[in-house]
Amino acid sequence: MLFNSLSFVVFLVIVLVLYYSKIFNWTNKKRMLLLASYVFYGLWNPPLVILLWISTMVDWTAGNKLAIEENQRKRVMWLVLSMVVNLGFLTFFKYRDFLLDNFTSVINTYGYGYRAKPMDILLPMGISFYTFQTMSYTIDMYYKKIKPAKTFLDFALYVTFFPQLVAGPIVRAQDLITQFYEEKRVTFNQFAWGLFLLTIGLFEKTVLADTLLSDTSDTVFGSKGILNSIDAWAGTLAFSGQIFFDFAGYSTCAIGIALMLGIILPDNFRYPYASIGFSDLWKRWHISLSTWLRDYLYIPLGGNRHGITRMYVALMLTMLLGGLWHGAAWTFVIWGALHGIYLVLERLLKSKIKIKLNAINGILLALLTYTLVNFTWVFFRAREFSTAKNMIASMLFVNSEGEKVLESFDIIKVFVLITILFISHWIMRNTSLKEVSLKTKPWLLGVVWAIMFFLIVIAQGSGEQFIYFQF
Amino acid sequence: MKLKQSLIIAATLGVILVAAWELYWRSQGRQPNIDDNKNLWANQRAKLEHYNDNTVVFIGSSRILYDIQLDIWIDETNTDPVMLAAQGTSPLPIFRDIVDNTDFNGTLLVGVTPPLLFSTTYPEANFIKVAQSLVDYYDKRTYAQKLNHKLSIPLQKNLAFIRDGDQSWDTDVDLKMLLSQIHLKERTGPFYPPFNNFESITLDRHMKMPQKMVTDTAYSNSVKKVWAYILGGDFPPPEREATINATVELAKKFQARGGNLIFLRCPSSGLFRKIESLGFPRNQFWDILIENSGGKAYHYEDYEQFHNLNLPEWSHLAEKDARFFTTELLKIMKADGALTNSKSD
Repeated sequence: MLFNSLSFVVFLVIVLVLYYSKIFNWTNKKRMLLLASYVFYGLWNPPLVILLWISTMVDWTAGNKLAIEENQRKRVMWLVLSMVVNLGFLTFFKYRDFLLDNFTSVINTYGYGYRAKPMDILLPMGISFYTFQTMSYTIDMYYKKIKPAKTFLDFALYVTFFPQLVAGPIVRAQDLITQFYEEKRVTFNQFAWGLFLLTIGLFEKTVLADTLLSDTSDTVFGSKGILNSIDAWAGTLAFSGQIFFDFAGYSTCAIGIALMLGIILPDNFRYPYASIGFSDLWKRWHISLSTWLRDYLYIPLGGNRHGITRMYVALMLTMLLGGLWHGAAWTFVIWGALHGIYLVLERLLKSKIKIKLNAINGILLALLTYTLVNFTWVFFRAREFSTAKNMIASMLFVNSEGEKVLESFDIIKVFVLITILFISHWIMRNTSLKEVSLKTKPWLLGVVWAIMFFLIVIAQGSGEQFIYFQF
Repeated sequence: MKLKQSLIIAATLGVILVAAWELYWRSQGRQPNIDDNKNLWANQRAKLEHYNDNTVVFIGSSRILYDIQLDIWIDETNTDPVMLAAQGTSPLPIFRDIVDNTDFNGTLLVGVTPPLLFSTTYPEANFIKVAQSLVDYYDKRTYAQKLNHKLSIPLQKNLAFIRDGDQSWDTDVDLKMLLSQIHLKERTGPFYPPFNNFESITLDRHMKMPQKMVTDTAYSNSVKKVWAYILGGDFPPPEREATINATVELAKKFQARGGNLIFLRCPSSGLFRKIESLGFPRNQFWDILIENSGGKAYHYEDYEQFHNLNLPEWSHLAEKDARFFTTELLKIMKADGALTNSKSD
């Protein structure tokens, strides 16, 4: 089920009515939330709920065993079991055809003429998110960082909690399971703030991403020819805005819905396009994934504890795998590699050059960072390397006579919107929506809220899927 | 934070803005209507999973969709029509879906619009891709999508600004469409003329041309302008052999399992008729298809009563004429004993 759909509106109203009615005690409310989460997921494809159940059972069992087991060999065995099951699902459903294609290409270079038939199995929605979330529980249990969930119900709800089930934020066990232990008392302000966040999230998704930016990006990246530089830039900028509004929109909806239920989820985005440098970017973009990769990949790979060379290798590996997490294609690997290279270069430069930041050089560096980010988005969005190569060439003004595929209004629309996006990220860089809202007059907040609601209604999004669902 | 005050203002103003938007579109002459979208098509396609002896299926493009009036068909034949014709498409993907993915062996009427059927079998051609996307959508439709469509129906029936169409010609009042109509300096070539909506469809996909197309000449001329723009483009030569062979292959398979196949060429006029006569001469396309397929066939040119019908935009019959066409066509078919599955026969 999608947040931007009529069925979700009905679903949410029913869940809220049941949640706030007096007929259930806290345990039954949690049972209701768990059942609702399975319905939320099952309305997309019922049999795939079984994967959630298997993942839940395996990590619940592994966690409980790790809580009492002292034998190191057996502890490793339980951890490996969890990893094999979770990563096994991920590999089978997400990377199977990719691995098969590459295997075929490699053996065919030796002249075998092998033809593999793709299995064409549906990718379970949100599998990358919930497998990472459940794995974090077992890994933390292995390192004895957390205590086991008190009940199976709490753990199952942690794995399946519908607001963040299919596209995060990827929440750590200690941040979410403990919230399920005691009944939530939601104040009116909390509930209304959750509703406001839900409105903002839907506005970002349906109005900004789907209505204003997606067509421009689709036209440009769907073009087979060599493009004019303006078109290439407009398409890339449109995609940079689309993916931000799409994904941040989902996260904001998730945080808002959870808050309406009295559950607090962590921020996933903090105005990333005003980042100064790439270390800063990854503290602001998809924060729950970047911290996951830091804690469960980069640090176990050695982090910065074993010298500079090892640190750079760990950094590159983390970013390459981070790229591959997004999708089973070499273009995603290149996207990750570019971010890895940017991070390495930034660390090298920082060790040589010290810059005292002020407003002017700060915004220039943010603009430089955003420009470099846009080059990475080309690989993220392009389905083929040839498209990416042509786009990059056009963006570097190599193809002065390239094809024009966008109308003047589309170009102006994208440049104006992206300029506003960049400036607002810069203004909001060191503050938060909550702080700004506290300083805003209630009537003005109400008017802004109403306008967003109105634009969502007249945009009439036809239930476009969130981009990150495919990951 | 005084969110209570903000929420009250937001709710009140939000409702006022939406109501004003609805009133504005009604003042512009828009009325609530159902959109002919992929869900409507998929609901009809689902009927083929449990068809009965009385089921009659229609495939083809918008011509058969507009020209066959289903209420008359039901009254005259006592059959259960399933309308699977899709606007602007070749019948091939849907014909293949019926032949390969169902065991339906009742009466199947295939509407033939020559430029759409005989041009190509290339999967990426728009009129093939759109038809295939309907088949794929039906195949992969989720419970959530079914539910969303069910919930959207009361909104579509009661609010003029609600549009749930798949194609640009369906959705002329949503924000994206309104923005796409803003034209500044021409950059990629001449602007596409506005394509005004001229459909009125029921949940069972009974399509009628709105009366406005008959009474408002300027409105119907705006649609003619779009046709002239489209037909004025360069087109590759038609793939006569490939398209006829593909159709004949499906026809043979369908007939081999006892299906009653009928090809129907609905009327066209003006620029459409001219281009179809020149680009797809009957003796080189239609006649060869009928001869090779062995299906029953009805071409409007063969019947005197179909020669002077009213097609306000050259391609589809006005409602009154569509009712006449359906009635007369059924008389002819019954006389021929063409509708073997009809109880009245």
